Amino acid sequence: MPIHDQGYRHYDGERSALGRRWIVIVRAGVRTMFGKKPFMGLLLLAWVPFLGRAGQIYFSTSVPQAATLLRVSPTTFLDFLGQQNLWVFFITVYVGSGLIANDRRANALQIYLSKPLMRSEYIFGKLAVLMVFLLLVTGVPGLLLLLLQILFTGNLTFFRDNSHLLPAIALFSFVQALTFSSTMLALSSLSKSSRYVAILYAAVIFLTQAIYAVLRQVTGGTDFAWVSLSADMTQLGSAIFRVPPQYTTPWPLSLAVIAGLIVLSGVVLERRVRGVEIVT
Amino acid sequence: MGAIIAADHVSKWYGQVIGLNDVSLSVPSGITGLLGPNGAGKSTFMKLVTGQLKPSKGTLSVLGEPIWGNPALYFRIGFCPEQDAFYERMTGLEWVTALVRLNGVSDQEAAAMARRALDFVDLADAAGKKIGAYSKGMRQRVKMAQALAHDPELLILDEPLAGMDPIARRKTMRLIKEWGRSGKSILVSSHILHEIESMTSNILLVNQGRILAEGNIHQIRDLIDEHPHTVHVRADDTRALARAFLSEDDVLSLKFEEGAVIVQTARPDAFYARLTALAASGELGAIHEVTSPDDNLQAVFEYLVKS
Amino acid sequence: MSTRPAPPALVRSAWRIFDLSLGEMLWSRRSVFLALVAGGPVALALGIRAVTMWTPARLPMVNGARMSGSAIFGLIVWLLYIRFIVPVLGVFYGTALIADEVEDKTITYLFTRPIPRGAVLVGKYLAFLVCTALLVLPSAVIVYFVLSPIGGGGIGEQVPALLADLGMLAVGLTAYGALFAFVGARVKRPLVVGLVFTFGWEPGILIFPGYLKRASVAFYLQALVPHAMPSEESVVSGILQLFNEIPPLATSLASLAGITVVALWLASRATRTREFVLDQ
Repeated sequence: MPIHDQGYRHYDGERSALGRRWIVIVRAGVRTMFGKKPFMGLLLLAWVPFLGRAGQIYFSTSVPQAATLLRVSPTTFLDFLGQQNLWVFFITVYVGSGLIANDRRANALQIYLSKPLMRSEYIFGKLAVLMVFLLLVTGVPGLLLLLLQILFTGNLTFFRDNSHLLPAIALFSFVQALTFSSTMLALSSLSKSSRYVAILYAAVIFLTQAIYAVLRQVTGGTDFAWVSLSADMTQLGSAIFRVPPQYTTPWPLSLAVIAGLIVLSGVVLERRVRGVEIVT
Repeated sequence: MGAIIAADHVSKWYGQVIGLNDVSLSVPSGITGLLGPNGAGKSTFMKLVTGQLKPSKGTLSVLGEPIWGNPALYFRIGFCPEQDAFYERMTGLEWVTALVRLNGVSDQEAAAMARRALDFVDLADAAGKKIGAYSKGMRQRVKMAQALAHDPELLILDEPLAGMDPIARRKTMRLIKEWGRSGKSILVSSHILHEIESMTSNILLVNQGRILAEGNIHQIRDLIDEHPHTVHVRADDTRALARAFLSEDDVLSLKFEEGAVIVQTARPDAFYARLTALAASGELGAIHEVTSPDDNLQAVFEYLVKS
Repeated sequence: MSTRPAPPALVRSAWRIFDLSLGEMLWSRRSVFLALVAGGPVALALGIRAVTMWTPARLPMVNGARMSGSAIFGLIVWLLYIRFIVPVLGVFYGTALIADEVEDKTITYLFTRPIPRGAVLVGKYLAFLVCTALLVLPSAVIVYFVLSPIGGGGIGEQVPALLADLGMLAVGLTAYGALFAFVGARVKRPLVVGLVFTFGWEPGILIFPGYLKRASVAFYLQALVPHAMPSEESVVSGILQLFNEIPPLATSLASLAGITVVALWLASRATRTREFVLDQ
């Protein structure tokens, strides 16, 4: 026809399958954060320890006198991931505190869930936004350090002798990211104020640490390390990396605490992420 | 009384975005309507006038004094903001009393003033209820109560009718007109043109950070020379009327509708005089109805905003 | 109407704001968090008391004697109150004094009243002090009463130290609150800055020798604590012990007073000059 209809046209292209639409949320969330200069500054600062460790690996492989002092072992990689905890905390607070809280504040949950988007997709999408950034400062630099170790030594001896390191770094950083992300996301679903969520999260991390510190002094031992989430993570990491544990708490107990926290976060999210609020 | 609000080359920008651009105006006493599309700069102007923002350039005075950094001036100003925000756990009476106390009055006097204000906005019965339980219309009215409780000379109302049902709107408009008659000056902003029109004929028209027009609606309309007036005439013999109209050079165009002729004229006064004579003589048949669809705020708004 | 009142005075206006804000702060849902935080040490103390009542042997030996209740109380003061509760409450409430009102969009009502803007900040700061003191100080007293009988100690023996602790906690809340009130008035993301300061800057610079540690509240606050700093088995703690420097009491009190006054003045000035643009 010579004159074309300028009105609304229904979309008849391909639609992504159900269960894949969470990727949209991830992409949007990641792009938004990459657009914020202060956050990019924080990310860059979080990579500074990587440079220090890279230097350690370089000198330990290139300078024989430094090899003993700066010896690289599985503990090096576990220590690196442990030291990243401070950056993990700040990034979790910066990125995660408003993930659901801001949507609740703006009444956007109803809009999200009125679309053909399952609740689980919404939650996974939000979770993945935070996990992307946490893995960017834990797993990615950790694996890069392992690669640097291989590149600087020029052989695969270290890698063959410690073949568990590759899956250990990947698994431990994934567990770290999943635990902190799910905890933060659950807290974020409890309030409309991202500031309040951030403080609640700080309480979970640091208050439990402080309580353990008191119990440690009072009991003279580390039996109560399971109280502190950070200590649980350290204990689990020692088990995954097959290095001597720091505490006397059995690592299955630490794993149970971490798993329990993830499950509890899931339960909270299941109850809080709804399109409508049911008032009884 | 002189201008209650006087702006002299006032500009306000937020980073790269210009909120208000070189605005000079004076708002007289009485009721003035502030109009403009979304993003026009109405909110920016309201915030400047209420001292929440400082002009990036130029000077702004309210009741003869600069408003920024001048808290004493708030004795004489009452502001009803647009946002729906309260201390929800307080009752209406507690909230208004607490705010009035900030004017330095005693507790008893503050409570009495709050009761009077709540009574004035028809919230006396609900004064003891928590604001969290109020309906939308009640929330708007309690906002207005806190604005007028201390009997200010100037009331600034930002979208006071937003979210109200028709009955509440009529009540509020009546209140606003009453306040105007009692000697208060009121600056009221709204999107709802016909409601502004029913409250006042004095307007400020804003668009894209600039003032398009200020003053009386009809005067503004008359001044828009390049936009001819439209007159809708319903009559028996529209063709005969059309022949008579076309013989005069102030008639620029006309078109026919079912039982009516629509005329565009550059000189409405002369046109109406001829039309009156024709209607009185009856020589061209009966004329049933004469209306002017664009001698109103909507037309003024559209002309100025779209031009 | 009768003749208008005199032009606004800062003190009187601040008092009225205090009156308005105290109720809001005390009865808000966020105070549930405050209560939980203040209740944490109480719950811990009750747990320790319960365990030691049945198994006194669980307490470690210190200088040939079982750890006493007052020593445990000192631990809790150091590890929970000073290192977590006081600074975190300072961050949470201090940064929120104006930010909460801006977020809730109620700031307009306060800033369009005939009172100086600085009075809004000062009044809310006073409300924060009363609110936090009302919960934290009784919490410390309860912990003291629960723990002092452990090891056969009497309740009245350490009352002067308890009073010193209460005074120290009040001073800490005052100083941290003022500092973070300034951060809240000046900075765009005050909570992140506050958390970085509390969990990054302060623990970090105390390790370093020289003048750097004077740029913290913790350095001066530690001089007011009547209990010995606990020694923990970590590298950081070891370095802390090595470079530990306790300023004289008078210097500490004067410095903390100075920090409070200067921070409040700067916060008040920032509130006066800053434009608060509400989200639409």
